[in-house]
Amino acid sequence: MKKFLHRLFNHRVRALVQKEFRQIRRDRRLAISLILPPTLQLLLFGFALSATVSNIRLGVVDDSGTPESRELVANLTESKSFQFAGSYLSVDKLGAAISRGDLDAGVVIPYDYARDLYRGNPSTVQFLLNAMNANTAAIAQGYAQGVIQSYNQGLAAGGIHASFRQIAAADVSRRGIVSLHPAYLFNPGLVASWFIVTGVFGLLLILNGSIVASAAMVKERERGTIEQLLMSPAGTYEIILAKIAPLFVLLFLMTLFAVVVMETAFHVPIQGNLLLLLAASGLCILCGISIGTVIATFSKSAEQAQLTSFFVNPPLSTLSGAFYPVEGMPHILQSLTAFNPVYHFVVISRASLLKGSGFGVLWPHFAALFAFTAVLVVLSVWRFRKQLS
Amino acid sequence: MRRILAQTRKELTQIVRDYRTLSLALLLPIFLLLLLGSAISLTVDDLPIVVQDLDNSSASHDYIDAFRASVTLHVVPWPVDLKPEDALTSNQARGALIIPVYFGRDIARGSVAQVQLLVDGSDSNTARLIAGYSSQITQAYNAASGGVVRAQPVQTAMRFWYNPGRSSKKFYGPGIFVLGLSMFPPLLASLAMAKEGEQKTILQVYVSSISAHEFLLGKILAFMLVALGEAVLMCVLLFTYFGLNLAGDPTPFLIATVLYAFCVASFGVMVGAAIPSQAAALQAVALGGFLLVFLLSGLIYPISNIPAGLRWLSNFIWGRYYIEIVRDALLQGGGWPATWYKVLEIAATGAIFYALAWRTMRRMQVKA
Repeated sequence: MKKFLHRLFNHRVRALVQKEFRQIRRDRRLAISLILPPTLQLLLFGFALSATVSNIRLGVVDDSGTPESRELVANLTESKSFQFAGSYLSVDKLGAAISRGDLDAGVVIPYDYARDLYRGNPSTVQFLLNAMNANTAAIAQGYAQGVIQSYNQGLAAGGIHASFRQIAAADVSRRGIVSLHPAYLFNPGLVASWFIVTGVFGLLLILNGSIVASAAMVKERERGTIEQLLMSPAGTYEIILAKIAPLFVLLFLMTLFAVVVMETAFHVPIQGNLLLLLAASGLCILCGISIGTVIATFSKSAEQAQLTSFFVNPPLSTLSGAFYPVEGMPHILQSLTAFNPVYHFVVISRASLLKGSGFGVLWPHFAALFAFTAVLVVLSVWRFRKQLS
Repeated sequence: MRRILAQTRKELTQIVRDYRTLSLALLLPIFLLLLLGSAISLTVDDLPIVVQDLDNSSASHDYIDAFRASVTLHVVPWPVDLKPEDALTSNQARGALIIPVYFGRDIARGSVAQVQLLVDGSDSNTARLIAGYSSQITQAYNAASGGVVRAQPVQTAMRFWYNPGRSSKKFYGPGIFVLGLSMFPPLLASLAMAKEGEQKTILQVYVSSISAHEFLLGKILAFMLVALGEAVLMCVLLFTYFGLNLAGDPTPFLIATVLYAFCVASFGVMVGAAIPSQAAALQAVALGGFLLVFLLSGLIYPISNIPAGLRWLSNFIWGRYYIEIVRDALLQGGGWPATWYKVLEIAATGAIFYALAWRTMRRMQVKA
C-alpha cells in the first residue's frame, strides 16, 4: 500500500502538485472563492431562510363590541403567532386592508356573539386568511383553530360564562375520545435553520467544487500553457492527479470549516458518526470537481465555463431537497432526485447529523453517491485526456 | 436617437450569433420557471407514517383507517417487533403513530385514550404540518365515531382568499418569474459590457461620435428588449401551466415590468462597466441577481422571518418590490393603492444603477 502510494505520488506528481498549490495561492480570486462564499452562504441561508410562521398581522372587525368578544381578540393576539394590527369598522374595510397587503389575516366577530354564548348557542367567528402563500395559510389556520379550541375549553370550564356549561357538559353515556400527543424527535425545539443548513452544506460542496475546479482547469487552456504541460515528462494521469489533489485538499479544509460554522453559529447537533459524514463529503467533493472538469473541457474560456454551469447548477440545486422538502415535489420530479448526487448527500448529512443514523441505514445513499462519483471521475478523466491528445 | 437604435441593433445581433447566450436568454428562464415552479412546495402531502398498533382491536383499526383515508398522510407497513423510531432514522417514515394496549377498552368505557405520535423534527416545517394534519384527523375521528363531542361554543369559519385551493404553484410561479428576470438579462448585459472592456473595443466607442448616454441607453435598450421578451414568454407559461389570471388592474404590473426591465438591464451594464472582466462580472451578477433576490426578497420564505439584523437589507433588494407587484397583479388584485410606492422604488433603483453606470463610463474614459 505504502509502495503503491509512493509510486502514485512520485516526484513528478509532487512537483506538479506544488505548482498547482502555488498557482491557487497566487490567484487571489480563486483562493477567496474557496473559503469566503461557502461560509457566507451557509450563514446567509441559515439565518435568512426560515419557514416559521409568526407575528401574523391580524385585523379585527368586532361587531359585537362586548367583553366576551374582546376576550377572544385578546386570546388570539396574546400569542406570538398573531399580532394585533388594527381594528376595522366593516368587513369591506378589512378586505381592502388585506388586499393592500397591510394585513395577513382578519377575524370577523358577529354582532350576536356574546348573546349567543349566554344563551348557550354556538356562535361562528369568521377568519379571512390571505392564502397567497399556501404554507403560511395552512399554518395560520392551525394556529387560529388551536387558539379557539383552548378558548372553548376555557369557556367550558366555567368562569364568567357559567351558563354555557349546560351544552358543554360531557355526555358520559357515549364512547370515549382519542387524545393525540405529538412528540418531535431529533429537533424538539423545531429549529428551522437545522433543516436548511444541513441541506445547503451539501449543495455548497458540489457547486463550489465544480466552480473552483472548472476555473482552475480552464485556465491552463485559456493561457495556452496546456501544451507546456504536455511536453513535460509527466503522463496524463499524473497531470490529472496533480490537478485534482490540491483542489480536493483545499475543498476538504473548506468542509471542515463549514462543519465548524454549523456547530458554532447554528448549534447543529452531531448525533451520528462524524467520520461517516466526512467520508460522504469526500465523495461529494470529488463529484463536484469532476462536474467542474467536464464543464471545463467543453469550454474555451472562463466565462464560457461559467455560462455552461448555469445550465448544470439549477437542476442540481432544485432537485436536491436542500431548501424545501423533496416530498412536496410532484412525483415525476421526486423520482428524478434519485439521479442527483446532491440529494443523496443531503439525505446522508441530515440523517447522520440530526438523527444519528448509521451506515447500516444509509448505505443505499452511499452506494448511489459512490456510483455517481465513480462515473463522473471516469468521465472527466476521459474528457480531459481527449482534450490533451 | 438614431445612434441609440444602431447600438441596440448591434447588441441584439451579437446575442443572436452566440448560441450559448441565446439559449441562456430564451430557453433557460422557461426551463427554470417550469422546474422550480413545480418543485418548490412547502405544503407537503402524501407523507409516509408507520403505525404501531399494540391494541389490535376494532376501535384501533377504525382509528388507523381514518389515517389511511387521508390524502396528506399514508400508512406504510412496519413490522411490530421493530422500534418505530427506527422507521424515522431510516427515512422510511416521517411520523410514527403508537396506539397503546387497552385503546379499544378506553374508547368503549367512554374515557380518553392517549395516543402518541412521534414526528421527525429534522424538517421543522413539515413536522408542524404532520402534527397539524394528525390532530385534524383525530378530531374528525372523534366527531365521526360519536364520541363525547363537546359542542364547541365558538366555531371558526375559515376563508382562504386569493388562492383558495392553496396551490403552491400559484405562489411560487410569480416568484420564479421575477428570479428569471433578475438573473438572465443582467447576466447578458454585464457580459456584453465587460467584453467591450476586455477586448478593448470600448476604445473604438470612445473615439466615435457616440456620447456616453447614447452608448449606455443603446445597450440598456437592447437588454430591456431581451428582458421583455423573456417576460412575455414566461407570462405565457404563467397563464397556461400555472393557471394564473390577472386579478385586478393590470396597469401597475405592465408599467412595473418595463421599469424592472430597465432596472435589471442597468444593473448588468453597471456591473459590466465597473468590472471589465467577463468571468468576474458574471460572478458579481450571479451574487447580486441570484443570491440576493433568492434570499432576501421573500421568494420562498417570508421576509418577516429573516432576523432583524439582516432584514433591513431586503429594503434595498429591487426584486422584492417587483415580486410583490407581480403577486399582487396575478393573485391579490390590490391595484395602484397597494403598489404605487413599489413601482416608484423600482424606478428609483433603476435610475441609481443608470447613474452609477454613467459615472463609471466617464471615469473609464479618463483612464483610457
